[in-house]
Amino acid sequence: MKNKIILLLVCILMVCGCSNYRELDDLAIITAIAIDKSSDGKYELSFLIANSPKAQTSSKEGEAKTTVFSGKGKTLTEAANSVDSKSPKTLYYGHINVVIISEEIAREGFLNIADWLLRSPETRKQFYLMQSKDTDAKNILKIVEPLEATPSQSITSLIESNINSQSITTTISYSPFIEKVLEKGYDPILPSISVDGKISKGSSEKNLEKTEPTSYLKLDDTAIFREDKFVGYVGRKDSQSINVLNDSVHELKIDFKHEANDIVYTSNSIKTSTKLVDENHVKINIKGSGFVSEVNGKVSLEKVSTVKKLEKNLENALTKQLYKTLDKLQNEFKCDVFGFGNKIYGKYPKIWDKIENKWNDKYYPKLKIDINADLTIESSGSLNRSIEEVRS
Amino acid sequence: MEKINKKVSSVIKQIKKLYGNSGDLNTRVIKIHGVDVGVLFMESSSGPGDISDRIIKSIDFLTDGDIYENLYEHLKNNIFNSQVLTTKDFSRFAYYLSSGFTIIVVDGHDEAIVMETRAELDRGVTESTSEPILRGPKDSFTESHSKNLGLVRKRIKDPNLWFDEVKVGKRTETRVTIAYLNDVTDKNTVSEIKRILEAIDVDGILDSGNIKEYLLKQKSTFPQILSTERPDLVCQSILNGKVAIIVENTPFVLILPNVFIDFMHTSEDQYQKPVNISFTRALKVFALIVTLFTPAIYIAITTFDQTAVPDKLLISLAVQRSGVPFPTFFEIILLMIIFEILREGDVRSPSNMGTSMSIVGALVLGQAAVDAGIVSPIAVIVIAITSICSLIFNDIDFMNGIRAWRFIFILSATFFGLIGLVASGLIWLLKLSSLESFGVPFTAPFSPLIKASQKDAIVRFPLPKIFRRPGYLNNNDIIKQGGKDEK
Repeated sequence: MKNKIILLLVCILMVCGCSNYRELDDLAIITAIAIDKSSDGKYELSFLIANSPKAQTSSKEGEAKTTVFSGKGKTLTEAANSVDSKSPKTLYYGHINVVIISEEIAREGFLNIADWLLRSPETRKQFYLMQSKDTDAKNILKIVEPLEATPSQSITSLIESNINSQSITTTISYSPFIEKVLEKGYDPILPSISVDGKISKGSSEKNLEKTEPTSYLKLDDTAIFREDKFVGYVGRKDSQSINVLNDSVHELKIDFKHEANDIVYTSNSIKTSTKLVDENHVKINIKGSGFVSEVNGKVSLEKVSTVKKLEKNLENALTKQLYKTLDKLQNEFKCDVFGFGNKIYGKYPKIWDKIENKWNDKYYPKLKIDINADLTIESSGSLNRSIEEVRS
Repeated sequence: MEKINKKVSSVIKQIKKLYGNSGDLNTRVIKIHGVDVGVLFMESSSGPGDISDRIIKSIDFLTDGDIYENLYEHLKNNIFNSQVLTTKDFSRFAYYLSSGFTIIVVDGHDEAIVMETRAELDRGVTESTSEPILRGPKDSFTESHSKNLGLVRKRIKDPNLWFDEVKVGKRTETRVTIAYLNDVTDKNTVSEIKRILEAIDVDGILDSGNIKEYLLKQKSTFPQILSTERPDLVCQSILNGKVAIIVENTPFVLILPNVFIDFMHTSEDQYQKPVNISFTRALKVFALIVTLFTPAIYIAITTFDQTAVPDKLLISLAVQRSGVPFPTFFEIILLMIIFEILREGDVRSPSNMGTSMSIVGALVLGQAAVDAGIVSPIAVIVIAITSICSLIFNDIDFMNGIRAWRFIFILSATFFGLIGLVASGLIWLLKLSSLESFGVPFTAPFSPLIKASQKDAIVRFPLPKIFRRPGYLNNNDIIKQGGKDEK
């Protein structure tokens, strides 16, 4: 009996033991993927491999030098296989942080390539999805950034720091993006990224040696999608408005004029609620409190009446900005990135069934949207009176 | 029982034959008014000064005329000694002589007078070397049995502290004392221990470690009996209703029944602030988990479940690993074996060789092996953390138990990854909870959960708030303090 158990154990250890076994140094850890369309109509996949031991001497400090491998193919799998045949290590998809798609891919429709990334069991579905602007997606991977070890890390930290500090870009990870594409009455948006400077200079290690790098990555305009197809870009102001209207703002900075003086207002507690009056009318309420973070000119914030006036101007400035963005999206792009259609579908499903096909082109541009902003100034920062006011 | 020959000369002849003319056997015959009085003692184990001072003198100076009639009775009553026994059994002579007693035989009597004249053959009471503490009594047990008993007795003055003695070992006749509180400790435990001890049929017992193996029935790498050389810890345990087994000629006293959490405790815990001690104990539990699982987790996440590691860490690990010629498993096992050899060597080698040992260990095996690219720096870190955390426990049996299970975890992680590690961790918990000694579950007071005993398990409550003795001990009297229960 005992011998049998030992035999069984030995069998278990020898037969099915190492099925999933792979040594860490045999893996090529992919942290970012770029998907391009090459001129001959094939997909071009580029993988950023984070742990290539380009310089063995630096391995002690844990510093990784990155490598980019590219391959072409009719399908994404074929492209990936052609990369695999170039890489001496097994490609490992478990730690993808960023996937960058080129404008061309986005214009053709993202759903064509969505399947491959979702289907693989190894990938996490939480990576950021971005679109490259004015350049091929694979060029983004090549830029060596001075502050982070790898481009993928610099992209993720670029995004994450931006969410918290400015809200001028949108961030979206993969699964929510796909969800929005598939949901009714919703058009998704993607952040775009571009290279500032020359790509050829930014991709060499020399970029790191200067105090002012010649090339660096930059979060750019927001890409607007209609279903899964890219339509156009909107600028920073509009991106900010979209974030306010979508209630996804962490920190809002608005500049407005008061008696010809420029004033900047910062709020950390913007709350937006959207209410459907009926299928043709939406009411949006924005509430928030914040402080004055910059005053250029002679403004004293000691008087309550001044503060009240400031608040009025501030609210006007914000609603004006929001209406401008809404106008652009309703009439120019005809993209419902706020999900008003989705709300109608939720509340009046029968009406939605009738208008669904013509929603973007006919009904959405006509949708009446009322914005009511209620912002309060709670403090004036560390100063009560502006410097110029004190001087005079 | 063998009768004592009434003739002194033949008794002496018999003894000499028994010991094969051993040089340290001393026999002296004194003639008092024509009556032979034989004085027998072992030079080696008894104090000759004592014998000549007290006994020979008191025999020599017998001058009173009446007493010769009844010489034997007179000697028995008048010898200057605190411990005088009589025996009619010749077969006990060897035991008494070897233990350092002096035997007086008188012509014409089949009874012998036995007196304690033991020599001081042990070191004095010194500071504990194996369990040093910062605050608390510094004395420790020695090799002298009576001193050891004294160190316990002087701490607990209650007459209910009973010392039951059993002699174990056919040739060594080692005195083994079972110490317990008569009105508190579970009688069954005591009688069971006694039964086991009496049933031991071996030629010699030289240390309490020998006894330990007879007392344990279940196979386990973890010790179920605590051994200590601290009298205050022994007394704490006795007061809690445990049983202490004090073995002659060894400073290590056994305490049982014992539970797992006792290895996280020290006697010092009772002398310091409760909050700080609770923190220290939590730290020990953390160290236990770290020392058991770290190498296994490292192997599992680097060879199977890379997805479980954060990006930056994984990249850093991968870069460190590149260029190392061995598989991760082999790397870890190699370093662990080297560490175990170093530790064993450090314990056995004389202290003046310890420095060269640590230089070789730290510089050559650590630094140089990494520089040469034979092992990765992270593997050295893993092993260093593992070994530091295992050194926090001072019970050598416990440390070795941890080591055995660590290897099991490493093997299962090597073959099955994190799933294998979780499975073998469960097996470990099952094994622990299946253990029991003398009716006490090894995992008490957590499984079975005893609420009242949580006050001195991982968290220690202030002493004025601990009213009960540990609830898992089947004590007759569970109230420790105040006469009233907290309920």
